[in-house]
Amino acid sequence: MSTPSTPTPAATANSILPPPQQPSAGAPFSQPPSTAGTVKTEGPLPTSTTASAATVAAAAAAASAVVAEELSCTITVPSYSAWFSYDAIHETERRLMPEFFEGEAAAASGSRGPDAYKYYRDNLVRSFRARPGRRLTLTEARRGLVGDVGSVRRVFDFLEEWGLINYGASPSGAKQGRDKREEAAASQSSLPVGATMPRKLCTGCRTVCGLAYFSCEKADISLCARCYVRANYRPGLTATDFKRIEITEDAKSGWTDKETLHLLEAVLHYGEDWKKVSEHVGSRSEKDCIARFTRLPFGEQFMGLKEDKMQFEIDDDFNDESGSQISKRLRLTPLADASNPIMAQIAFLSAIVGSDVAAAAGQAAISAQSQVDVNGVSINYSINNIKEEESCTNELSVNDLLKEASRNAKVQLENERKDIEQSLSDIVGVQMKEIQDKILRFEQKELLVEKERQQLHYLRELLLSDQLAVVQHQRRPPPGPTESKDDDDKPKPIITIG
Amino acid sequence: MKTVSLGANRPSAVKFRMPTRDNLVPIRVDVEVDGQRYRDAFTWNPSDPDSEIISFAKRTAKDLKLPANFVPQMLHSIQGQLAEFRSYEGEEMQIREKIVPLKIDLRINNTVIRDQFLWDIGNLDSDPEEFARTLCDDLNITDPEVGPAIAVSIREQLYEIASQSVSAMREARVSKKGRRAPEFASNSKAMHNSLDLFKYFGSKGSVVRKRKEWYLYEPVVDVARKEEVGAIDATEELSSRNA
Repeated sequence: MSTPSTPTPAATANSILPPPQQPSAGAPFSQPPSTAGTVKTEGPLPTSTTASAATVAAAAAAASAVVAEELSCTITVPSYSAWFSYDAIHETERRLMPEFFEGEAAAASGSRGPDAYKYYRDNLVRSFRARPGRRLTLTEARRGLVGDVGSVRRVFDFLEEWGLINYGASPSGAKQGRDKREEAAASQSSLPVGATMPRKLCTGCRTVCGLAYFSCEKADISLCARCYVRANYRPGLTATDFKRIEITEDAKSGWTDKETLHLLEAVLHYGEDWKKVSEHVGSRSEKDCIARFTRLPFGEQFMGLKEDKMQFEIDDDFNDESGSQISKRLRLTPLADASNPIMAQIAFLSAIVGSDVAAAAGQAAISAQSQVDVNGVSINYSINNIKEEESCTNELSVNDLLKEASRNAKVQLENERKDIEQSLSDIVGVQMKEIQDKILRFEQKELLVEKERQQLHYLRELLLSDQLAVVQHQRRPPPGPTESKDDDDKPKPIITIG
Repeated sequence: MKTVSLGANRPSAVKFRMPTRDNLVPIRVDVEVDGQRYRDAFTWNPSDPDSEIISFAKRTAKDLKLPANFVPQMLHSIQGQLAEFRSYEGEEMQIREKIVPLKIDLRINNTVIRDQFLWDIGNLDSDPEEFARTLCDDLNITDPEVGPAIAVSIREQLYEIASQSVSAMREARVSKKGRRAPEFASNSKAMHNSLDLFKYFGSKGSVVRKRKEWYLYEPVVDVARKEEVGAIDATEELSSRNA
């Protein structure tokens, strides 16, 4: 009962030994030792780890005979969660559970804040490890934790996803749990966020996403459209953190990579003859083939076979056939929303491959092209000299094709540039015209305003003259000595109105 | 050191919220379907999206292996309590420094706990969760389910007081006594059980409790035996069914 004597077959997961190295005082269940120091070896050495595990377990089991008896089996933790330790909070946790670590929560304690997170996490992991074969349910766990159930649920889900809780555990008892654990350990699992699954599962409602889903960079979460609209995500995120990614109907019908490869081959051979293409592909109707083809990222570029050959050669420089990229494409945000299909293709491929490789490949392509030019020149030369037409024409045709293709590409680039310049100058012209119109209108308004001002002036002067006339009339009745003064006053009120 | 003048309790009006650091709502669910009974109490964060309620209900039913017809009733109950909480949310309530005695009288699985303590409901930084955790640690309570039950109980009492404050404010507004109304209302109405600090401490000037009152405020923890637990359970069920 106390030794894991059967070596786990081809186990690619890691083991942590539960029996504590130090006496645990007063704890209700015996706790696994702080895992900071335990070895986390990778897959390729299964025998050595299990051997060492067995011996250490035997020794520790003897020492821990006093402690509770259920800690007899090893606890497995997947390799992508090897960072876990009771003593510290890892960067991964900070990143994926920002509600506890960011903003005002970072300074807080109690129900928010890193202390709360650590309290929930440690308790959940401990309770699971006390009964490792049994699946720990959220309800059971949260009943023992002081805090609001929303936060507990999120920590619980996070730990479960990362295999720190309920890893390989089934609700139906310890033995089955152990078998399942071995199976789960044997199947090498990559990141649990559903990266390699062809179907997208929404992290919010755990249903298959439909046509499009929203992915959040900050927290590695994908939500279906419904969850996104309902704001079914954690409090730490806002709507702007999400990007929309299209899953086309291929996800529903499930075009495998092989089928896509067949499709591309067929198109290459048969061109536009969709009947033959669908035959080559096999289980897809013509319509399906056409639909799939147009949805491929470079579908629009297939205008001539010559260009195809060129493209495929460049592709080979980068990596495998583009068909295998389809599944990865689903995960990538569509960059370069460029109408230029070449640029879109290049942007997409360079995003997959990484900037360094893309730069290197670009260099290689450029040097290859220049070599082609050189070859073309030399071959032309040789044609003039040697008269073996067959071999020459073969080389000629291949290099001519390449040359033509490169010339076409250059010509197209030039055209694009000219178009851009043309449209820029058009825009500038339009703006200038607008400004000129505005200036005209302002001038007209100025004229009007000026006229009004002059009218006002005229009226004011009239008013003034009227006032003076009135004053004069008032002065006239007092007779005699003031008349001479009036004579003096008279010339004054004459106002010249111009 | 700040000197606090005990007499100048200026009530300030704030938007309704739980008078604790985290604005969490206590929820109590008691659903019975086909003879099966589900009772639970937990804390919910009202700023969580409502879609989480349904997934929480489903998950709980699945974890406890309850039949699916529990879920609509659970959902209804939780949503009702949340809606009631939200109906208070736009209102204003009075916050002032006020010491209230809170009581705990719970039986969780085997553990019986009874306690009484004073709580300042004007302190918006108070934390029932921390209190519950510390209490369990200090009293060496081994059952982990006791902590959350205590926290929920405290929250319920605080929620009760807060909602009374809101309704008091509402009535004060409606009444025609004018500006003086709030002062009167709060003194006369539902706050019977609050203690006037000044009266309590003022004359002696000491905050240390009198020895003869210690027994009132001491927590009592009992671990009942299985047979007793069975008996108590049965009586409780009968009384709640008849009620």
